[in-house]
Amino acid sequence: MKHSECKKHLIEYEQNLRDTFPLFIHHSVVRNGRELSLDISANEIREIAAYVNVQLDGTLISLFACDERHNSGDYIIRYVFCCRKSGVLIVLNTAIQPEASQFISIADQVHAAALYEREIHDLFGLIPIGHPYAKPLVFHGNWPNGNYPLRKDFAINDKPPFVDGVSSFLKISGDGVYEIPVGPVHAGIIEPGHFRFSLAGEPIQNLEAQLYFTHKGIEKLSEGMSFERGFYLSERISGDETFTNSLAYCLAIERIAGVEVPERAEYLRVLYAELERLTCHMGDLVGICLDVAFGFGAFQFRLLRNWCYQLADLLCGSRFLRSVNVPGGIRNDHVAGNETEILKRLAELKRELDDTAEIIRHQTMLTDRIENTGVLAEKTAFDLNAVGPAARASGCSYDIRKVLPYAAYDKLTFDIPVLSGGDVAARMKIKLEECYQSISLMIQVVETLPQGPGSLPIENLPAGQSAFGITEAPRGESVHWLMTGTDGNISRYKVRTPSFCNWPVLCYAVAGNIVPDFPLINKSFNLSYAGNDL
Amino acid sequence: MFRMFKKIIQYPRVTQVYPKGPLDTGLFRGTPEIDPNLCTQCGICLKRCPTGAIVHGESPQHIGINYDTCIFCNLCVEVCPTCAAHNAPTFELAKKFRSELRLTPIVVEERDLPDVSYAVIEDLLQQKIKSIFGRSLHIREVDAGSCNACDLEINALNNPVNDLTRLGMHFVASPRHADMLLVTGTATRNMELALVKTLNAVPEPKLVVAVGACACSGGIFRDSYATRNGIDGIVPVDVYVPGCPPRPQAILYGILKALDRI
Repeated sequence: MKHSECKKHLIEYEQNLRDTFPLFIHHSVVRNGRELSLDISANEIREIAAYVNVQLDGTLISLFACDERHNSGDYIIRYVFCCRKSGVLIVLNTAIQPEASQFISIADQVHAAALYEREIHDLFGLIPIGHPYAKPLVFHGNWPNGNYPLRKDFAINDKPPFVDGVSSFLKISGDGVYEIPVGPVHAGIIEPGHFRFSLAGEPIQNLEAQLYFTHKGIEKLSEGMSFERGFYLSERISGDETFTNSLAYCLAIERIAGVEVPERAEYLRVLYAELERLTCHMGDLVGICLDVAFGFGAFQFRLLRNWCYQLADLLCGSRFLRSVNVPGGIRNDHVAGNETEILKRLAELKRELDDTAEIIRHQTMLTDRIENTGVLAEKTAFDLNAVGPAARASGCSYDIRKVLPYAAYDKLTFDIPVLSGGDVAARMKIKLEECYQSISLMIQVVETLPQGPGSLPIENLPAGQSAFGITEAPRGESVHWLMTGTDGNISRYKVRTPSFCNWPVLCYAVAGNIVPDFPLINKSFNLSYAGNDL
Repeated sequence: MFRMFKKIIQYPRVTQVYPKGPLDTGLFRGTPEIDPNLCTQCGICLKRCPTGAIVHGESPQHIGINYDTCIFCNLCVEVCPTCAAHNAPTFELAKKFRSELRLTPIVVEERDLPDVSYAVIEDLLQQKIKSIFGRSLHIREVDAGSCNACDLEINALNNPVNDLTRLGMHFVASPRHADMLLVTGTATRNMELALVKTLNAVPEPKLVVAVGACACSGGIFRDSYATRNGIDGIVPVDVYVPGCPPRPQAILYGILKALDRI
């Protein structure tokens, strides 16, 4: 989306909103060329949010609170909408008085808001009035009431004593209905999470997921950190999204600093991001094959994944692409001089992927299990803002690399595969197709890489500025928001990885399927527990 | 079916010879080390280390790294003006005692979860048990709140290149079947009870290996309201494997160390 087109849309939207709600918009400002930020009355949030959601075609991509009592005396809640067709962001800011400590829930109209509001309740102590299911999200009954970690007056290493509480789950009553609890420690080598199934016979009637077992307090840890140190924290949010999370962080820092990274760095960032996408998708394909006990497929994809890691070793010496990005560009240039080797390995990868895909395409032991399993309806995916390959397999064609392009994506050619089946087979096909697109992108980058410096130094950040860094992680859209404090260090770091949006969607996709298919459906989404829990 | 067989026999052995033979570390970034001969004690690396892993040793002239806290980010190597901080191609870093990874002493916090009795096994019996474990080891992995990178590296031990099963070890689904627990992640507040219950469910004799900077010391998530600075505050640890994440071969080295095979 060109800069001038964005500006046109932003002016149009602002005029539209001011005409429709003349009394409720107090202040507006355009930030970073594509973000319209409006201060509105907190009491009118339901009407205005529903209007932006429906009339202006804005999808809710994030909702978070900031403790600004030391600045303006209030809490600020920010509602972030992305108008996908025009490629701009609309941010509605509301001020919540500390004496009231409550806000009006919009979850019954804008369904994607439900989880965000529960998170705000747990971490800030602001109560969502009218929320349809206001159950504690972050703490599992062992946390005493009245302690809200993201408030500024809560010290980072304050550890309140454990209390004896119990989590409650939605119960379904009826003849023959029983519950199966699974987790938090799962049978495989995987992260912890608790699932409560309600079943009558084999088909699942309801699934409720309780996550936040790996909650480490990343957002609180980041407050007060220098932007150099915060970078290492952003890399370690989720292991296999290391590069894209650090890229989103760097994009936000670079916007705040007003720095444009050199062209070579933009191309190199695409190279590493696509390598990460390839590695992650290979891992998903391993998981799907393992869970249908298709050993050949699993080991083929494991071998391919290891080849991706070996390529990562060649490109930077680190299998997870850690310490590759830096705010301002890329740290070290390992690509120069290695171009032939990289292209050779990519060609080998493509050949092996072709062979494997051809062999497994006709295996009935695989297709039997994956077709018509775990169907995700398009409306559900759209209402809950499902993102990534899981949403694209259900007809929601949405990819940040095309809608809000970053790095060098607007200079390269690639397709976004979209299917409409919504079952495991569709998700698997999308991931395979995206692997091919990634390999093609990497080859394009190596062949057209411009010369020049790899990075520009960033010394200090201006105080009191904020910016978004939005990227397309392997699992979907990843939204990071940073605000600097008076000393130029981080004052608030809001992270929303794609897994946060997709976990509630998973609970809908399993309804009606048999329990033994649950691991398969879970692996076909392949969501990150750590990326959700922070 | 025929095509599957043809593909299976297409490649000669892809499994690497480590640990029976050496590993090619040419492309590895490697471990950060500080050469005392080149170090001018300017203290830049100390100030900028994200986790505070760089410390003064016994004398102020001696600057070194506490590897249980190091997240291997390489910032010290990048900023050192005299190249005293450099990368060494080592990856076999696992140690039995946390103090062996550190320059400065460590005080492990008191165990404060309800008591679980760990049977004290005599030394001789311990040796015999380890020689049996060495021929067939059942491993259970528990993620007590990591970012998942260490879990993915443990997963990589199952791929054709590393192939743990050729050494007689494999992963099991239940702690009741396990001889060893591989624990990743700082023990987060919500996972403390689950970790201790899993440990209790493992029958004696058992071994515990802490994998990664988070399990050794909390890593970059130290001192938060929801994490502990290492799992050794609530479970007894036999071997610490530093790294962020440690390579599969480094984890393998740690497992073999716990069995006294190295």
